Amino acid sequence: MKLAGVDVGGTFTDVIVVDTDSKAVKIHKVPSTPDDASEGLIDGLRSAGDDSMGVEFLAHGTTIATNSLLQYDGAQVGMITTRGYRDVLHIARHQRPLHYSIQMEVPWQDRALIKRRHRKVVTERLGPKGEVVTPLEEEEVATAARELKEAGVSSIVIGFLNSYRNPEHEERARSIVEEVYPGAFVTTSSSLFPQFREYERFTSAAINGFVGLKVRNYLVHLRERMQDQGVKAELRLMRSNGGVATEEFAARYPATLLLSGPAAGVLAGAHIGNACGRDRLITFDMGGTSADIGIVTPRGISEATARDTWIAGYPVLIPMIDVHTVGAGGGSVAYTDPGGAFRVGPRSAGARPGPASYGLGGTEPTVTDANLVLGRLRADHFLGGAMQVKRDLAENAVAQLGSRLGLSTLDAAAGIITLVNHNMANAVRSRTIQKGHDPRQFTLVAFGGAGPLHAADLARSLGVPEVIVPNYPGITSAMGLLTTDLKYDLIQNEFMLDGDADLDRLNRDFKRLDAEARAQLQRDGVPETSVQILHAADCRYVGQGYELRVPMPTTELTAGGIKKFWDDFNRLHEDEYGHAFPGNPIELVNIRVVATGRLPKMPEVPPPSGGNLEDAQLDTADVYFAGEDGKQKAYRSQFYERTRLPVGAKIEGPAVLLQVDSTTLVPPGATAEVLKTGDLLIKV
Amino acid sequence: MAIAAPEVDVIEFERGKPPAKPIDPITARVIAGALDSIALEVGHKLTRMSYSSIIRESEDFGVALLDAKGRQICECSLSTPLQLGPIPGYMQGIFRLFKERGDSFEEGDVIIHNSPYHGASHGPDVGFCVPIFYKGEVVGFSFTTAHHLDVGSMSPGSCGIVDAVDAYAEGIQLKAIKCYERGKKNEAVWRMLRDNIRASDMVVGDMEAQVAACQIGAQRYAELLDQYGRDTVEAATEELMNYSERMMRQQIEALPDGTYSAEGHIDGFADDPDPSKRDQVIKVTVTVDGGTMTVDLTGTAPQVADRAINMPFVGTVDIAIYVTLRSILLDQATHEYVPQNSGIVRPIRIVAERGSLANPTFPSATIARFCAGNIVADTLMRALAPICPDRVAAGMANMKVIAYSGVVNQNYWVYMDITEGAYGGRLGKDGVDAVDVLYANTRNNPIEDIEAHYPLRISRYELRTDKSGAGKWRGGNGSIRDMQFLGRAHMSLEGDGHRHAPKGGFGGYDGTPGDVVLISAGKEQHLPSKFQSRWAEAGDIIRTVSPCGGGYGDPLERDPKRVLDDVLDEMISPESARTLYGVVVDIESKTIDHRGTQELRAAMSKQAVAGKA
Repeated sequence: MKLAGVDVGGTFTDVIVVDTDSKAVKIHKVPSTPDDASEGLIDGLRSAGDDSMGVEFLAHGTTIATNSLLQYDGAQVGMITTRGYRDVLHIARHQRPLHYSIQMEVPWQDRALIKRRHRKVVTERLGPKGEVVTPLEEEEVATAARELKEAGVSSIVIGFLNSYRNPEHEERARSIVEEVYPGAFVTTSSSLFPQFREYERFTSAAINGFVGLKVRNYLVHLRERMQDQGVKAELRLMRSNGGVATEEFAARYPATLLLSGPAAGVLAGAHIGNACGRDRLITFDMGGTSADIGIVTPRGISEATARDTWIAGYPVLIPMIDVHTVGAGGGSVAYTDPGGAFRVGPRSAGARPGPASYGLGGTEPTVTDANLVLGRLRADHFLGGAMQVKRDLAENAVAQLGSRLGLSTLDAAAGIITLVNHNMANAVRSRTIQKGHDPRQFTLVAFGGAGPLHAADLARSLGVPEVIVPNYPGITSAMGLLTTDLKYDLIQNEFMLDGDADLDRLNRDFKRLDAEARAQLQRDGVPETSVQILHAADCRYVGQGYELRVPMPTTELTAGGIKKFWDDFNRLHEDEYGHAFPGNPIELVNIRVVATGRLPKMPEVPPPSGGNLEDAQLDTADVYFAGEDGKQKAYRSQFYERTRLPVGAKIEGPAVLLQVDSTTLVPPGATAEVLKTGDLLIKV
Repeated sequence: MAIAAPEVDVIEFERGKPPAKPIDPITARVIAGALDSIALEVGHKLTRMSYSSIIRESEDFGVALLDAKGRQICECSLSTPLQLGPIPGYMQGIFRLFKERGDSFEEGDVIIHNSPYHGASHGPDVGFCVPIFYKGEVVGFSFTTAHHLDVGSMSPGSCGIVDAVDAYAEGIQLKAIKCYERGKKNEAVWRMLRDNIRASDMVVGDMEAQVAACQIGAQRYAELLDQYGRDTVEAATEELMNYSERMMRQQIEALPDGTYSAEGHIDGFADDPDPSKRDQVIKVTVTVDGGTMTVDLTGTAPQVADRAINMPFVGTVDIAIYVTLRSILLDQATHEYVPQNSGIVRPIRIVAERGSLANPTFPSATIARFCAGNIVADTLMRALAPICPDRVAAGMANMKVIAYSGVVNQNYWVYMDITEGAYGGRLGKDGVDAVDVLYANTRNNPIEDIEAHYPLRISRYELRTDKSGAGKWRGGNGSIRDMQFLGRAHMSLEGDGHRHAPKGGFGGYDGTPGDVVLISAGKEQHLPSKFQSRWAEAGDIIRTVSPCGGGYGDPLERDPKRVLDDVLDEMISPESARTLYGVVVDIESKTIDHRGTQELRAAMSKQAVAGKA
């Protein structure tokens, strides 16, 4: 079977095509085509070989939903909500986005997803247990839908108070709207994710409505184009939760695609690390403007707390992989602020003017410039020689910064690297030490254009003992697309106390959600034997506002089972916060079902056939590292052609490994070894 | 006859000195980043472990690390400014009390403190302090503060205790008490807390979360010292404070020297027969002298000795001033983020007459000082308006805080609701609608959370429209929030801005005052902006109506397109568009009548000129 993973990013479209029978792997990178992403997708597929058009399965990561939101370029959205609550989206949580500011922008007011004129109210009200307090006035819904249609709104969000306990009114309103206004893109807040907290739930629904038509149209167009080009592959879209979905599902719930690209990166890191026999991983994807960090433990990939997830200043109450993005990349600018402090990022020079060394008009030094000054990047090997950069421009820019700080050029360059690495290290700490994970037990999986260059230093500052650099660091996310499954998250609110837990109700509700999930997977064409179901529940001590997710058995829940479950919660609370309050009453807030349908995957492929170590050797050159006295010192370092390294090759640092899409740094004192998978293991 | 001049108190700090050991800029930044992430971790864990919505939803808490001298070296960016700013003041208060008593810090101690005459912001904001020991010496303090639901005041809840006659009526006074001594829990103290505080499971749970959070901060700071060495970290923190000081001083130096002043008013007790209890003046005189700014509150009304609206000089007044100045001069939206620490306040001197509202004397009550502090902030902003017109907002709309409570099975439930204000217009931007203002920055509680946990229903939560101050940049809209009671309940409220509208600026119009309405059996009763201990019956509704912010600039200069948008969004009425903005809107076609607008605006300007003449 032939599989393809296509990750369409802002700059590049990365393609990997794998034949599961012959185990042949083809990778390719083509420029993205922002006006019509499907063009780049087909181009990329074609450039991976003529026969790749015959792939049977295509997993696709897309930034279309994310960009629509980030660029505030979406549909005219209307809303139908409960009378009395027209401005929930506008008042939000009444908290300023900045503590110390008068001139601030407030995203939910200055960039409203739904204009006030398009927020209509109707008579209806549910109580906090989902009971009907005031029945839905159906005629008002029809009138509102007609008015919105006349106003030129193309997408309608239905958000009623307390609908997370009972979707009936929202569903009834949906059918009325669909009747009055066929073709409108309708989102109900309870179908997207039935969690309490009305502002966050309504906003998530509004995001879905805002990006919805763009995504739907894109998918329709992509399918047409694939048909034109004779690509008959089954298409699956990467979602923020680390699973994929069918076109039909993705078109209905496009807000679940917001982290499509970064999620694939974390999956790839997990896959590669697992293949190398490691189950505690920090995935580290560093590119030009930012670095994405994910955490994998024996329990799986860490998920974000729904309450901590914000995109473009809006909260998103949808399950997502916990991808922590830091404004740290090759293009991050180093500067001194008016108080004289030395700073690096989050501002980025981008592709234009780009780093000073690009010679495109940039004068501020960037992380890339600092790497050139230190000899870690080679001007004559930049992007495999595909791009001209000038080391003297980098040196000038760094020297100027250094003179403002009273530092030599080398010290200033080393300082830039230290600071950018520490920004990333703090981000990693927030997801490891602060959550009770000891980084010393983890392996860093480094990829992206700049990841392998910074990985060893980053690992050292965190106390992480080893780094894995995959075979193809530049297209790792595309590979991640071929490691995923169909995945659906279902949730049901319970609000139950440990003192009087209703096991019958829990078992009944789990059974219902299981059936719903299985039905969805059946519609997706997944055979029963390929379905896996997991149960969990969100709990907190009574009164707390943040829940922790605790696994539950998938078998019938018994008195013994629930007792163990409460103990597990206490233990998890201790792990997560460093403290537990055993004996205090516990509230079970939601139950969750995660259903996966297994899909064809990336097979184990033989490593690229390297030659011998001598063949891989290029030249030697001076690279600067801190000496034992802490001062920058030139080390004569061996440069290698990465792809020519044979399996089992061992390299002592200092050394630099070059390949087209990335550069790997092995600092003095570290050793690198090519594993039998072809991935590189660096002991730092 | 000689009249003795009133005594004044001054808050001022010395300029920073260079660190004892030179520190390179790279290590300085690395340590600054590490400190930020420690404070963030502590705050994150506190909100997640805490029980009451006032901490976990409203985020009314503070986290900071202090050095051995009690100077703040970092803060948690999650928490509210009004909780953060006062922490060094709490610490100085603890030092003072320890010195008076001959007490000393021991390893394993935890100190609880809430005395507003010893640096606390007010009684309900209880501070917990863990001294950080390193190699046998105190090297700093890990500190958290949080607003607690109840501290045993004369009536339930910890807000709206406006009628407290003195500090004793406000509730339990904790003056630097060791609740853990050398690692051992002082059970008697915790029992006293439980016995004297309503809804004590929740409150004590929150306090335990504070202790646990402080301990994490202490542990992390010691780890940092292990990693970099004590003298390096201390050099870095010294430099960090100097950095913040430099940033603030540069901004003050750039302002023209001179003296600038403004006056504001609080409602006081609108229903009190004693006129001295109403409409008190807040006076702010700012003197810019090179790199130092003096904020003098002389002329502010005398304290109201037997009511709770007096503002602790250290803990409330100073914070209102510091937070406002940095929001104007080092606005995060337009400036590099400057760490909030004890350095940033060094260029600022504060002066107030002893015995005034802004500097009360013990035992005057202070628990309900919140809204008055916002007026200090707002008045300061107006004093500065002439010299930084592009950085201020017109008059802001004040907030309200309400305690709801009841008894079920001989146990109290207490719930605190904070309703928002709004900002005045700004140069180039309208005022922010329905938002927490100036020196606090809390969050509201989700309606769905309230309804699931308390016998309360929120039956309306919307913008208050067509009342904002007209201007080229209009004031922000306030909100209207209806709280309906499912059963008999008790309530106390503190708010302000019912008698004095938020001021317009630079030709903008004033905003609109706020209101509170009790709706019972179909009858509406308007209540004053402060009341304590009222009962509501099942079905009653309490409606809180925020003021709306002042306008900025001449409304006749407002872009007609913006006026049209406001009309279409039903933020203002077509009548207001015409009478206030001189814009004629054709509602049918949803367009501007440009000719009609031109003519109307010309006529209105003429009238205005004639009016002035």
